[in-house]
Amino acid sequence: MAFFAAHFFFVGVVSCRELFWFLSQGRTIFPHSFNSYWAKAEDLGSSILLQNPGAPTTLRKSVTTYVHLAGVESGYGFFAPNVPGTCKLVFELHYPDGRTESRVPGVSSNASGLRVATLLDKIGRPEYDSLREVIIKMLASAVRREHSDATMIRAVFGVVMLPTAEEFQHGVRESSEFLYSYDFDFQPVGPKQPNP
Amino acid sequence: MRRIEFWKQRLIGFLFPPESDNWLALLRFGLGLQVILYSLSIRKDWACLLAGKGGLISRNLSETVIALESSLIPRVGWIVALGGHFGLSEESILSIIWYSLVTACCLLLLGLFSRAAAIATWFLHLAAVKSADLFSYGMDNLTTIGLFYLMLSPLPDRRSLDWQRRKSRPQHRDLLGFWRRVLQTQMCLIYFFSGIAKCLGPGWWNGINLWRALTRPPFDLISADTLVRFKYLLPIAGVAVWTLEIGYPFFVWHRRLRRPWLIAVLLMHVGIGITMGMYLFASIMIVLNLAAFGPGILWHQRQVADDGTAARKSLAPSPNN
Repeated sequence: MAFFAAHFFFVGVVSCRELFWFLSQGRTIFPHSFNSYWAKAEDLGSSILLQNPGAPTTLRKSVTTYVHLAGVESGYGFFAPNVPGTCKLVFELHYPDGRTESRVPGVSSNASGLRVATLLDKIGRPEYDSLREVIIKMLASAVRREHSDATMIRAVFGVVMLPTAEEFQHGVRESSEFLYSYDFDFQPVGPKQPNP
Repeated sequence: MRRIEFWKQRLIGFLFPPESDNWLALLRFGLGLQVILYSLSIRKDWACLLAGKGGLISRNLSETVIALESSLIPRVGWIVALGGHFGLSEESILSIIWYSLVTACCLLLLGLFSRAAAIATWFLHLAAVKSADLFSYGMDNLTTIGLFYLMLSPLPDRRSLDWQRRKSRPQHRDLLGFWRRVLQTQMCLIYFFSGIAKCLGPGWWNGINLWRALTRPPFDLISADTLVRFKYLLPIAGVAVWTLEIGYPFFVWHRRLRRPWLIAVLLMHVGIGITMGMYLFASIMIVLNLAAFGPGILWHQRQVADDGTAARKSLAPSPNN
């Protein structure tokens, strides 16, 4: 019975914390003036889960380990509260003879394609700001392995904006919004030059 | 005091109802099949998703991020390091992990060495998911949840080969009931929070979010030209989705409504699978729903005779009473 109480306490707090995070981001049916209160509630959830820096390390790591082992480390807000635009990454391969061609990160199956789409959506989020460049560079290197004569790869990262049903009926189609681009020079091996 | 005792007994009755193992057989078989499908779906890209070098994203990146949270979370890197001591290459070890995972799942399907197979499946699946954390999504977490409960449940069940081999083994029916309650509670919380999170978004009231979900690559299996003909149904369908989800923890216990509610939720997942191509997500939700609430609601389940291990009778509403 203690297991039941403790386990579902964690599940409940993790889920509430995610719910408060959604609310604190705005774009819900609640007024924006409430956002700061939701952010405080989210912080409280983190504190209860011992995720704040002041929590004892051993306890914090024990809780973190348990929720990961049980698969309950994240909430259940699938496609909620809003469905975002889908992120897209296109590589522009430049060859020494002046040719260019476009490639997208390639995988063999639809199931893997769904995982790559998940990755792109993740790195489009602000919390992945610090990792985005590194991940895109790794993806560019994977493309380079298949096109070893390419001397420069420009990675263009953006989000596909979808029209509403009404807009679609009036002829509006999906459009892309540019977010970031990175140039990776492979001749000689040199540092990237970000062009945000 | 008498009132406290009454509620205590009621709670114990709810948490430990004598239960048959039909649900456990379903969970074991369903999860075995689910993880086999998962493994097959990414077979060709397995090395590409999990390689330390030469893949899409280095496994080391995901593992470093995970290790910052806790060094005890399973990961493929442990097995690669272990294999390295025996002179095995990373590529060989990744193949061995894939075949081991599929073998463990086949044992689960058969019910042979059920407990060991459940632990191995949980560990290998979790290690693969955590090492490719950047590629993981909700379906992976739901599979981990199912495998975690399966591993801790009182295996083997009567339909397993283990049971046929050792017929005299007693079954802990109150424990079977407890772990079914755990799974049922988990499902109720999943749907409740998923529904609440959806109804907070204005787009789930006016059909915009459903339109976006169905037209958003890579889920755009139905062409927008076809979908737009049904645009007046989208607000109704959007509200129906979160109503079904929020209502699940309440109506799945209701004597008259539990059957239609569960069928509606199952149909919703079939719909998600067909219209959005999220086959694995649909199948794991169907497996977990069927195991949690199927026996006793969707099909008749024989009442369990108390064999002495079930000390308490359920006082709470249950799919079986």
